[in-house]
Amino acid sequence: MATRSPLLIMWTVWAALFMREALWRLFSRRGAWAWLLLEPAFHIFYLIFIYTVLNVRHISGFDTSMWVVVGVVAFFIFDRTSSQTANAISANKSLFSYRQVLPADALFVRAVIELVLTLFAGILVLLLLSLFGRQVLPDDLPAVIQAIFGLWLLALGWGLVRAVLSDLVPEIDIVLNLIMRPMYLISGLMLPLSSLPPSYRDWLLLNPVAQGLEAARAGYSAAYHPFTGLSFSYLYASAVLMLFIGLLLLRKFGLRLVTE
Amino acid sequence: MILVNNVHKRYLTDHGPGKWVLQGIDLKIPPKHNVGLIGSNGAGKSTLLRIIGGVDQPTKGHVQRQCRVSWPMGYGGGLQGSLSGRQNAKFVCRIHGFTSAYDIKDRVSYIQDFAQLGESFDEPVKTYSSGMRSRLQFAMSLSIDFDVYISDEVTGAGDAAFTKKAQQAFKNIADHSGLIMVSHSEGTLKQFCQSGVFLHGGIAVWFDQIDDALKVYKESQLQ
Repeated sequence: MATRSPLLIMWTVWAALFMREALWRLFSRRGAWAWLLLEPAFHIFYLIFIYTVLNVRHISGFDTSMWVVVGVVAFFIFDRTSSQTANAISANKSLFSYRQVLPADALFVRAVIELVLTLFAGILVLLLLSLFGRQVLPDDLPAVIQAIFGLWLLALGWGLVRAVLSDLVPEIDIVLNLIMRPMYLISGLMLPLSSLPPSYRDWLLLNPVAQGLEAARAGYSAAYHPFTGLSFSYLYASAVLMLFIGLLLLRKFGLRLVTE
Repeated sequence: MILVNNVHKRYLTDHGPGKWVLQGIDLKIPPKHNVGLIGSNGAGKSTLLRIIGGVDQPTKGHVQRQCRVSWPMGYGGGLQGSLSGRQNAKFVCRIHGFTSAYDIKDRVSYIQDFAQLGESFDEPVKTYSSGMRSRLQFAMSLSIDFDVYISDEVTGAGDAAFTKKAQQAFKNIADHSGLIMVSHSEGTLKQFCQSGVFLHGGIAVWFDQIDDALKVYKESQLQ
């Protein structure tokens, strides 16, 4: 039998990995699929609860509950994609014994699955909110897609970097976790960054995740006043740079990840 | 045809690079040829097999496979513990180019019949005994047509009834496809292989006749 072309092999491997990973993500533990939805829903619920207690109805002209939902979903796109991608190598170790399966395949497929599942969870939450009479359709859908996609690219790049680095130097995971811990706070998920004094805010604007969240909200509501300094090109430049570093590391050390 | 070019291998240990296991292996394995790898324990037979099968990467040099080469049969990896036997079988069929639902079903039912795991076929692989694992792996490698099969001591897998069936299937492979195998049993090697490769001190020597390779191997053991 003739050998298959590399592209065809890659495609069949992606399709097979997609089935495997999606199954694992949805059914590996009891009710695994339910947690995919409940986790962001829980964050959304308690943030809305806090703001309700504080009696904050609008944030910079945006309905508070929608501000929270868009922020949480956008944040989860980044957080879940990067952490699932970072763990793709160790989770699929036994499958690399088929030489058709390369580290890059496992990494990309995981990132795509997280995007699909998190978006799905986000849409379900929006449907739920629409039952409560909220205006859930975005004012500028292309801008929202652009923001989400930018965050996802950034997460993919960061996930690649983490996957390679943590395999080469396992201790680095501790350091990276330490750095990423405050991300929940500094990305503007809980507090609107525009409420901070400009001298601090300017530093936080360097965080591309914060840029992504704000861009998604700005796209969602035309009435929303985002912080000054919101820049799509900054988000995408960071994402492309991160992706470049990740791919470079993968190119240099990819085979080492599956070599004993 | 499989070309092994100047392959070197040493494993990374916790204390940096270990000693060289393979030091410049050059081999040309013609198509439809049955080859036995011979050498004492630790000579690098399994290492070389794994590199030819693409499971592991050489430290230096490269391998060209100009045909469809199996993964090492009888080798412990390649099963995902959290997935059932059926799901593992489907995964392997998919990555080897079976895309239509009909083809996959056909291959999977072949694997199910051959492995005879009963209801365990739909249980997670991590609940399997080692015998059940090797039955599944053996059935999976049989279900796909390769030009060259790679086998690491595979014929000893499973209980008596399965071993008989496995040997019959293995004989069939040896007659119709190429085979590269490691075995410590002289009888098995003579039964299945025409040629031999003697591994010693990180170097490989090719013998057209398996008997010659076995003779040199025995002499090296006496020294």
